This record gives sequence, structure tokens and C-alpha cells, in this order.
Amino acid sequence: MNNESIVFHGNLQQLLEKVETGEMIPKLQASHAPMCKFFTAYYVISGIRHVVPLVHGPTGCPLYMSDFVRTRECCETRGVPLEPTACTTLDESNVIYGGEGKLLEAVKEAYAKYHPDLIVILSCCCSGIISDDVESIAREAEKLVGCRVLALKSEGFGGDFRSGYEDAFKLIMDLMDPPETTMKGTINILGARWGPTPTEFNWDLDEIERLLTAIGIKVNAVIAGGCTVEQIKHAREVELNASWCYDWGQKLGDLMQERFGVPYSKTGQPYGPAATREWLLGVATPLGMEKEALEVIEREMKEVEPDLAYLKEILSGKTAIIEISEFPGPIRALSLARMAEEFGAHPVVINVHPYTIKERMPSIRYILGTGVNPEIILTKGLFHLGSFRSSKETEDELESIVREYDNPIFFGNSGRFPPCPVVNLTLMNPAFQPQYGFKGIKNIAALVRQALENRNLPRSRLFRGMLYGTGKQ
Amino acid sequence: MVPGNSEEPVAPKSPSPESCNDPYLRCAFHGAALTALGVAGSALLAHSPQGCEYLVNNAFATQECDYMETMTLCTKLCVDEIVHGGEDILARTIREVKGLKISALFVISACGPEIVGDDIVAVCESLQPEVKFRLVPIASPGFRGSQYDGIDIALDTMLKKLVDGSAGKVPGSVCLIAPHANANPTWPADLAWVKQTLARMGIPVVATLTHKTPLSEVVNAASAETSLVLSHDAGQKAANFLSATYGIEQVCREIPLPIGMTNTQRWLAALGERFDRQKTAEEMVAEGERMVTTTCRRKWPMGRFLYRTPAAIVADATVGIPLVRFVTEEMEMTPELVALYSSQRPMRDLLERELNSLGLTPKVMYGTDVYRTRQGLREVSPRVVFGSTIERHAAEGLGIPYIVEVVRIMRQFRMINREYFGYTGILNLVECIQNEWTMAWRSKERRYEAKW
Repeated sequence: MNNESIVFHGNLQQLLEKVETGEMIPKLQASHAPMCKFFTAYYVISGIRHVVPLVHGPTGCPLYMSDFVRTRECCETRGVPLEPTACTTLDESNVIYGGEGKLLEAVKEAYAKYHPDLIVILSCCCSGIISDDVESIAREAEKLVGCRVLALKSEGFGGDFRSGYEDAFKLIMDLMDPPETTMKGTINILGARWGPTPTEFNWDLDEIERLLTAIGIKVNAVIAGGCTVEQIKHAREVELNASWCYDWGQKLGDLMQERFGVPYSKTGQPYGPAATREWLLGVATPLGMEKEALEVIEREMKEVEPDLAYLKEILSGKTAIIEISEFPGPIRALSLARMAEEFGAHPVVINVHPYTIKERMPSIRYILGTGVNPEIILTKGLFHLGSFRSSKETEDELESIVREYDNPIFFGNSGRFPPCPVVNLTLMNPAFQPQYGFKGIKNIAALVRQALENRNLPRSRLFRGMLYGTGKQ
Repeated sequence: MVPGNSEEPVAPKSPSPESCNDPYLRCAFHGAALTALGVAGSALLAHSPQGCEYLVNNAFATQECDYMETMTLCTKLCVDEIVHGGEDILARTIREVKGLKISALFVISACGPEIVGDDIVAVCESLQPEVKFRLVPIASPGFRGSQYDGIDIALDTMLKKLVDGSAGKVPGSVCLIAPHANANPTWPADLAWVKQTLARMGIPVVATLTHKTPLSEVVNAASAETSLVLSHDAGQKAANFLSATYGIEQVCREIPLPIGMTNTQRWLAALGERFDRQKTAEEMVAEGERMVTTTCRRKWPMGRFLYRTPAAIVADATVGIPLVRFVTEEMEMTPELVALYSSQRPMRDLLERELNSLGLTPKVMYGTDVYRTRQGLREVSPRVVFGSTIERHAAEGLGIPYIVEVVRIMRQFRMINREYFGYTGILNLVECIQNEWTMAWRSKERRYEAKW
């Protein structure tokens, strides 16, 4: 391929090596800012019921969480009542003289106001820089209130988005009591990180739970997707941990295995028949329920036989161009690449950001270990100044790359306009969810069918103009 | 209860509300970003860790910026810059973007770099010769106060750094201040109404501080003869500065913004009087009131059935204070709770005058937070709340049948901007009430299934 816009063309293993050596890391300071450590830590903590996340900082940090997480997401789509986004409202005087006294008062006040099961103090840039000792205050405060008080050092400058998730998961382990019993045939599902799972569109998790229930496996807690403190306390009593997304569950899974000896089922996301089978057997076999799982798998495979046949027929010999963008995310895209290959297509993953590789090293290594090593193309537009979400450069580059392949099918989302069938795998359309498991196979088959049967219908000039301009501006 | 003097604790034994808040207002950094992003043809560089960029993104949406036109950037400070200082990375980032075709780059510093002492003014001064656009540093860390403080800080910086005081006055002109300090989720419609009104009266607008404002307008702001503050929450300091420095007279001061018939009539009359356009103002009032009345006669608003229903208003002062009269007079409900996000003295005085004038004695809460609002609603038990999506959820379990979402609406998104100011604004508010009335009456269950 001779395309001037391409800055990397190789496979995932080669990209990983370039990222590890620092050769393929974006240098532009101004380009692309994902969430900070504080935000992601907050997300995980807000997935625990009856928790007060007490933000030790000025009002800007909690306000984003209050509007976006608590009110808009939790109340509107996640079926959660309005919970507090408490904050110590640090001001100039606190920055100069320290805010520890105020924080201690705030913990007592938060307990009196909200009667929570747990208070988690989250430090911000301000409290971090002035060195307020949030951990000591948490220990002190716990003696004065009727619930656990934990502290998480989550200054925005203190790490990237991933460290916030992981530190919050680590903190949650402090709530886990030594086991008094073993819950037979029971697992925890780890890695839920965006607050409580939505009640209306709990697609992928519902599919996992449906299959587990069919096998006879119970779930103690989805950590932290709406679990209770009580469930977390008993988390060590399960026989096994599993994750709904290997990438996000692995840290907590590994730590619980290391510290508490709770085994962790290491499997990728259940996209397609092989990965779904692996996921289910990865959980059922250690529990001694392999036979039941195989029966369920056989029954479910029969149900999706026509879809499997269709996908094999349609994808065989094709090039599956898979783009990493907002929806689906990078790990899902790599799971899709595996699925496409399973059905006989040649997957080419476009624009998996090196930043994403850097932040997901353990997961990428795991994925490579399972034999998934797709072709990867990175383009110049990915490294341009500004947001890479809807950039005109990457759209133009994608269109140009697609033209160079015979029989391509694009797997990504409908925000792209390549000259080939577009399989709309956005997670923002509940009409074709879940994508996991056997129901996922049906839905993905339906999306592929839509893409192919409607390939000649006109695309929206409106949406295209909205995203990339009309060329007349 | 005495208006304006009613911040009694809901539960006497509850601890001081000073330490633990669930705030409505964002921080000063956000307010400064919101103001800077109102300057067209500019870009914004957040000198901050990457999380603060999300406050910028929110400001970006609130100012209706277009990512094809306006770029926001971030220095993405990490531990290294907090320990060793972030001035180098700021300079590097400015150099990275020096090819941008913009008139100004606003550099706004967040809490971290301000605490560690990064001198953004010095960095901007030293790099100014290297770039073709103006570098405008604004030190507005979150801990400096609320978003309204941030708006005032940014306006102050802009006026002091950018305005050319030597420009001649434009006779009978006006400078509009702080239209963006307004919790109407589509506030640009309020600004548009003001501009249409002024155009009809033949009053030229020299500058809008800020919304889609070219840098040249900011530079020429001192050529205005008068100023008009379009918020009860921010902008007054800018008006005072313009008055003290350039002799710019503030008009429509100390009267509520034009929401509702009486407020609009009063506001238009004040404008008409100052600019000697009384006749035009009277015509606008007569036409507007006729339009609203006939429209209501034809559309049949159900809000009229809420006669003297106890109501609560939970909003910013900009919308909340004028709503008091609208709810009382036009809608014939009775405000029994007024909870405002902010608490500046001039705004308190204005509300107290309004309450006295109407003979109302509601419970008043200034600088409220979500917890205090819920406690206030629990105590007062209104049947209607004029507020936001937050109150819709915070009021769960309190048995309040109607939550009319007029500010900070997170559920609905209006593709067409709708003003609350002026006469169409009255109809927009009436429509909010109408829709909420319908939703409250909508059957949640079916008694039986249809056969077809």
C-alpha cells in the first residue's frame, strides 16, 4: 500500500514494540485530552450503592461529576436515585492554610446528611498539592461516624485516566472482609467502571448473566457496577472472579488472586462463538461445571446456526476494516478483529491510538498471547492537533485506505463515510445490543446484513456536513 | 418569614453547611473559559491537568462553539510539572500552536499551576513576539470562587488588557455584558432577543461581552455610551469598571431582567426612556402583550388551573428573580420557596425589593446547594417547582407533582434556542408548564390490553 497519509503499517505486536520503545508516542502536548485520574476514580466509586464520594477540592471537579455522572447518567439512564456529589469547596484561604480541618468536619457532616454505607474521600489537584493528609483524616473520621471512611489520592495531575480506575479498584479491596464461608458456584464480575450499570440498556452484562444462570452459576457482585458495600465485603467468599471486559477486570482480578488467593478467569471479551465459548468455559471449568456449560453452549450454538452460516458466507475472503473510535472502544475493536478472522475475513485495524496501547499494555499483551495479532494502520490525522474524534483528516485518510482494498467491509460506527458497507457497531444504539455472547452474534449478523443490503442507499449529507464540514466553510 | 433573611437551618441540629456542599455552580476556571470562548476567532489553552479540559468542553458547548472554528488545547500537566513548574511546557505548547489562524489565544490557568506559582503572564509576554495572535493570560483557578467569579475575572482581564480607551464614542450605543451568565440552557436566544429589541429601537451594539464576539469588538468596548448587564449573577463588576474608567453609564440597573409581562414592560420602558425611544417601547409592549394574550387564547394553556398553587423557584438569580413576578402575576401561582444558586448583595437587594413589592414572604435560600434545596422543598412542600433536572430527581419521594424544568436541563435538548426574555419568552415558559402538566397527567399504567 502506497499511501502518504500512513505513518505506521504493521501488526499489533510491532506497534506494541514501537510504543514500548517510545518511538510511537504522540508528542503534541496540546492534542487529545482524555479524562484525568480524579474523574475515573470517581466513576468507579460511584458504582457502589449508598456511597458518598466526598471531593476534597473546589467546586469545578465535582460539578462535572454531579451533572454528568450523578444527574444525567445515574438518574436518567442507570435507574439510580440522585445521590450526593459532596465537596469541601476549597477556597483560596484553604489553599493557603490547609483544608484538613474542613475535611474532617465535612466527613461528619456528610454522614449526618446522607446516612451512607461508605464515604470515600477523593483528593483533587488542590488538596494534593497542599499535601492535605486525606488518608489520616479518613482514619480519624472513621472513628467519629457510623460507616467506613476511605481515602483515595486521586489528584488529576497524579496519573492518567487508567490509574484512577485502577487505584479505585485497589481501594475497594480494603472493604473486602476475610471469608467466613465459600459461596459455591458463585463468582464476582469485575471491571465495571462507569458507575452503576444502566437499568435500561444493560446489554452485555445481561447476556453474560443470562448464560451464567443457564449454566447454574450465580453472581455475588458486579464490581463496581451498582454493587453494595455488603456484597463487596463478601467478595472473597466466591469461588472465582471473572471480568466483563478483560482489560478493565484484569487489575482487580490479578490483585485479588495475589492478595486473597481468589482465582481469576483470564479470558477476553465474548465476541463471536469461539471467544464466547472460551469465556464461559473459563468460568465454568474451574467451578466444575464444564459439562453444564458445554450443554448450554451447544444449545445456544444451535439457536444461532443461521447467523453463523450467514456471517461465514458473507465475511469469508473479505477485508474487515475495523476502526477504533469512541464506540466501540479499542479493546472491543480488537475483539471484533478476532471475530472477523474467525468468520474468514482479514481484519485491518485502523487508528488504534498509541496512547491507547500505552495505557493498556497488559491487556494488549494478553490479547497477543491469545493469537490475535491483526494488521494495524495508523494515519497522520491521528497525530494532528486537536480532537481526533471527528477529524476531517482521519475521515479522508480512512476513505482513501478503504479504496485500496478489494471487497472491504467497515466495522466501526456510522460517523464514518467510507466507500464500502458500514457495519454500525456503536454502543449508542440500543436496537442491536448486546454484542456479547450468542445474542451478540445475532445482533452483529443483523448489522452486517443491514450494511450489505443497504449499501447503495444514500448516506446523510446532513450528518457528514455536521461532522466534517461541507467544504464551503 | 422575612424575605431575604430566611436562611434558617432546616434541621436545628444539622452541622454547619460550610464544610460539605453539593454545589450547583462550577468553579472560576469554568467561568473564565466560558467567557474566553465567547470571543470569535480565538482559541483557548487550558494550562491545567487534562481533567480540567472537560470543564472547558462544557463551556465550549454552552457558548455554542463550533469545533470546525474554535480549538481548545491543554498543557495536560502531570506530576513533573507540578513539582518542577509548568512554564516550560506552557511555552512549548504555545509554540506548537503558533501556526493557528486566530486573533487571540486565551491562556487560562487552573488550580495546580497557580498553587505552584507558574507565571502565565510572564510566559505570554515573553512569547508574544513569536506569535501573530494576541496572547491573553487569565489566572482563574477553581479555588478563586464560583463560575460567576470566573466570569468576572475573565471580563476584568479582557477589559484591562484588550480595550482601547482612545476610540471615540458611538452616540446612543450600548455594550452588552455577561449574556452567558444565564442558566437558560439556550441563553443565546435571550441575547438575540435583546439585540433585536435594541435594533428596533435604533440602539447600536458596540460589543457583546461575550458571545461570538470578534476581538475587535472587545477592543472597541470603550466606545459604547452605555452598558447593559444581562445577568443578575455576573457582569456587574465589568459594568462598574467601564463606568469608572470610560464613563460608560449602566442602563436598566436594579430592575429584574425582562422575563414575564411586567418585567419586560418595565425593562423596555427604562430603555425607551434612556434612549428617548418611549414611543417605540410602548409599541413593543402593546404588540408583545397582544401577541402573548391572543396566542394563549388560541392555544389554551393549562397552567391557568394552577391558580395560587404553592410554587418553588430553584435557579440562578438571572432567571430566578424575574421568575418570581412571572410566577406570581402571569401564572397566578404563589412562590413559597425561592432558592438561588448565588448570594451577592446586589442580587439579594433586588430580590427583596421584588418580594416586598409583590407582598410575598417565601422562604428564601441564597447560595443553595442540592442538599439544602431538597431540605427546603421538604419543609415548604410546594406543588410546583420551577427548576432543573436536578430538582426533578432531588424531589423524588417528596410528593411534588410538577417539576417544570427551565434551567440546567439535562434530559431534554432544544435544537432551536428558546428565549425566556421578552414576549416569545413568556410563551416558551408557558409551554414548559404545559408540557409538564401533560406529563404529570399521562397515564403510567394501562387497565387492559387492546385486542388489535
